[in-house]
Amino acid sequence: MEIEAVKSVDLCKVYNSKHNNESVEALKSVSINVKKGELFTLLGPNGAGKTTFLRIISTQLLPSGGDVHVLGFSAVHEPEEVRKYIAVVPQDVVTYNNFTPWEYGYYFARLRGMGSTEAKKKAEEALKAVDLWDLRTRICQTLSGGERRRAIIASVLSSDVDVLMLDEPTSGLDAVARRRVWTVLRELISKEKTILLTTHIMEEAEMISDRLAIINKGSVVVCGRPDEIKTLMKERFRVVINGEFRQLSDYGEIAKLGDRNIVYLKTQEEVIDLLKDSLKMNLRAEASPVTLEDVFVRLVGGLNNNGNQ
Amino acid sequence: MGINKILKDTLIIAWIKSYPDFRRNPLWLMLLSMINAIPLFFMLMFSSGGNVIVHGLIGAMISSVAFAGLIAGIQDISWDRYVKIRQIIVAMPVHPASYALGIALAPLLISIPSLILFGAITAFLGFLNLEILVWIIPVLLTSWAAMSTMGFMISTYLYKANPMILNNLSILLGIAFIFIPPVYFSEVQLGGLSWISIIIPTSNAAGLLRSYVGLLPLSTEMAIIRWAVLIVMTLVFITLISLKSKWRED
Repeated sequence: MEIEAVKSVDLCKVYNSKHNNESVEALKSVSINVKKGELFTLLGPNGAGKTTFLRIISTQLLPSGGDVHVLGFSAVHEPEEVRKYIAVVPQDVVTYNNFTPWEYGYYFARLRGMGSTEAKKKAEEALKAVDLWDLRTRICQTLSGGERRRAIIASVLSSDVDVLMLDEPTSGLDAVARRRVWTVLRELISKEKTILLTTHIMEEAEMISDRLAIINKGSVVVCGRPDEIKTLMKERFRVVINGEFRQLSDYGEIAKLGDRNIVYLKTQEEVIDLLKDSLKMNLRAEASPVTLEDVFVRLVGGLNNNGNQ
Repeated sequence: MGINKILKDTLIIAWIKSYPDFRRNPLWLMLLSMINAIPLFFMLMFSSGGNVIVHGLIGAMISSVAFAGLIAGIQDISWDRYVKIRQIIVAMPVHPASYALGIALAPLLISIPSLILFGAITAFLGFLNLEILVWIIPVLLTSWAAMSTMGFMISTYLYKANPMILNNLSILLGIAFIFIPPVYFSEVQLGGLSWISIIIPTSNAAGLLRSYVGLLPLSTEMAIIRWAVLIVMTLVFITLISLKSKWRED
């Protein structure tokens, strides 16, 4: 039987505040399996428990209950073993201003126990992978935010570990920089690495994940492939209409976004009818399949009968 | 984890924490040396001669290692926590001792240029030779250890404090431990209160250095007591750190 890359069983975490004796349940019995060689995403709103989960797996934080195994080793009881196979990029990590991307790649590889020659080779490969080779001798202070983030990613890539954990690696990056990071991550998957990442960016989760889990208030709401998760909505299509359209609720469930409405519809025929009616009223309307964001909002945010969130 | 790996990682972390500054921020190193040398200028201007300048040089040597050690112990730890580099290192096969020792060793490397400068002037004035150097190096290393561990202890117990507050605190403590007690001046000037210098690691080390260069007569028993106080203090700080610090949070 093949060992899973990450397997958590009933993982719980309660943060107790010493100041006001309050406790916050950050994780409630979370059980997740991540297969070897897949890119698994934890998708959830801020404060959902994603970072807590990642910090427990990466042996930085002890759980209050349950256990998690990485490549068969318990992150709770065998952290030294787990650390040999993982590398982590924390959320909002800041670079040392005086450091160069080359130094990030090289020295972090050395800390993995590599010799100088091997570390140089791995650093070069990592920097080329994140497209920073030409900037390798520039100090981080002079790099853009995206380049700095990629320098940090290079430091974990040079480690050449089996399981990479990235906590919101593209948060704050522009679209071009974000796609560059996505490309790097998918290339790693093609090299049979396992990646566990957290994000609250729906497009990111949908574009790059093999599988994902939507997590909210410390619990896993749903887990599966992005296309599987999208089938959880009874509707298959969405039509975005700009402007005032009376009796819109007759067509299907609505989400109101100011002067825009998203109407969720089950069949192509319903979509065509609504588009025709919108055009008759001289309103702009755009149809597309439902997105992961639609499912996420339905599952996490919830829509009331009037379509308001 | 083997001792070789622990030592190798210690040196890598010390290098990471010092080399970029050596190479790219030499002005900062000059500034550090100048801070330690500032009291010397005043002593030259206002002294009535004698060995006052040698007392000052002794203070500058202690300050070079102790001030940097204290600041690194407080600032580097809290800064690494703030920028989350620590999280990356915790999740690596790196022993916590390598991390702590590496961070403590970095300021010692950084202080080498100023130590050489102040040592050379002391030797030029005829108060330092190879025989004395054999005693001076352990005193400097022990005062570095005492102040670094004190820094670690503070950052460990105040681990939730804002790094900016800890930065200011480290400078204030540096001034309190370096410039107020008899580090740059002889403890003899305190008269009946000279015993205070024994309980403060910096002035205790300065007193030992003065005795080795011949500026302060100390009996063998008193020298042993001073060494013991310095070492015990360091061990107490290490014990307090190990009781409180957690490599992995719970």
